Amino acid sequence: MADQTPVIELRHVDKHYGDLHVLQDINLTVHKGEVLVLIGPSGSGKSTLCRTINRLETIDSGEILIEGEPLPQEGKALAQMRAEIGMVFQSFNLFAHKTILQNVTLGPIEVLGIPKAEAASRAMELLRRVGVDAQAAKVPAQLSGGQQQRVAIARSLAMQPKAMLFDEPTSALDPEMINEVLEVMVELAREGMTMVVVTHEMNFARRVSNRVVFMADGQIVEENTPDEFFDHPKTARARDFLDSIKGH
Amino acid sequence: MDFAQILEEYGQNYATAIMQTLSMTALCFCLAMVISILITVMRVSPIKPLRLVGDLYVQIFRNIPGVALLVLVAYALPNIQIVLPWKTCVEVTVVLLASAFGSENFMTGINAIGVGQIEAARSIGLTFTQTMRKIVIPQALRSAVLPMTNLLIATMLTTALGSQVPLNPQELTGLVSYITTRSTGAGIVPFIISAVCYAGMSVLLGVLGNRIDKKVRVLR
Ligand SMILES: Nc1ncnc2c1ncn2[C@@H]1O[C@H](COP(=O)(O)OP(=O)(O)OP(=O)(O)O)[C@@H](O)[C@H]1O
Ligand SMILES: [Mg+2]
Repeated sequence: MADQTPVIELRHVDKHYGDLHVLQDINLTVHKGEVLVLIGPSGSGKSTLCRTINRLETIDSGEILIEGEPLPQEGKALAQMRAEIGMVFQSFNLFAHKTILQNVTLGPIEVLGIPKAEAASRAMELLRRVGVDAQAAKVPAQLSGGQQQRVAIARSLAMQPKAMLFDEPTSALDPEMINEVLEVMVELAREGMTMVVVTHEMNFARRVSNRVVFMADGQIVEENTPDEFFDHPKTARARDFLDSIKGH
Repeated sequence: MDFAQILEEYGQNYATAIMQTLSMTALCFCLAMVISILITVMRVSPIKPLRLVGDLYVQIFRNIPGVALLVLVAYALPNIQIVLPWKTCVEVTVVLLASAFGSENFMTGINAIGVGQIEAARSIGLTFTQTMRKIVIPQALRSAVLPMTNLLIATMLTTALGSQVPLNPQELTGLVSYITTRSTGAGIVPFIISAVCYAGMSVLLGVLGNRIDKKVRVLR
């Protein structure tokens, strides 16, 4: 369960894309062991927010702290910091020329400096955990979407991250594969991983998240426990949005 | 004069010319590969001036006719006290041209990788250099095998620029003019022999390239 140690803190974060004010005075703290679901209409800035947290995008003003430390500017220190925040993308983004096993061992070997043999045995353990160890010698194109996404989760876990960001991890998947990925995420949440999850999977949000944050037009409009948010949304924006996603 | 007579008289010259063409091709292609990797790394680097220089390089040398560039290297550079041996002039020209096209091939390969894998690499903590070395370059190299085979063939054909300067020994095209001026009765036969040599070597390289491509191609 969540305790009160902040892992990720955003303070007065602002970002523009040209004229578009994509993040507007975002203040958000994610505590250790917390599972935070980020929800909102398309274009509201959810992906951008995730991407700023591990500095795939820069911000214009404000600050982002990881375990109390500000994000470094550039170079090696930043690369190290990125490794501490796992990121799982909608489109899996596995390395196409590497085997499943190599996908998982690359980071530990190159970034953490772990010896090859040890990295491989740890990777196999992680692949077993997400249920794709039998595919270790294949290349990504030979796996189903659900399998690829589970490998992507294992690849992030291999870096022993302090927190993990999931940007719509199931929305590129065929319906029958969504659950196998969600189950892995539920398991992670149970083990106490700090997670920020962009998703429209309400059941997942109700089952495992501690807090739902609703974004619209670059602002955090509402935040609440999942049951309160889904059953009694306070703002009109949130009500409209929930109506629109319940429609299908 | 028929084939037999010409081969009888100039067979040795042809053998030497083929070697000259091939050795220039090999040297130029290797140098062009090294330079096009460097130029490509500049073009995708996070540093804007480097990107500009890389793009400019490609735009310039991709858009100058080979002969014009050779004239520039061979006859204009001496004006600023740079006098290169004839063969080097040809090789510099071919390398400049080929490296511009080579970088374009790599860029196509990189664009096919997609920004997703690169972001994934950054997100597990790889630095720019590590991302290039481990993710981008290996895939760009593999998917560039076919276009680079074509470039290798084009490089070989471009060494025919050697016929525009006094080379010793001559390459395949230069040899044609050498023979036709010495044996006026030769007609188009010397040309046909050279053409067959070019075509034969091109086909061979093409087959080889195809084989390599099948082995290393990245499944997508
Ligand atoms: N690199 C970029 N350059 C310019 N505008 C961008 C860029 N990336 C995103 N945007 C714009 O910023 C806004 C927020 O985008 P973002 O991807 O964060 O939204 P989102 O909430 O994740 O939406 P979705 O649910 O569709 O994924 C959108 O209007 C988008 O068009
Ligand atoms: Mg998004």
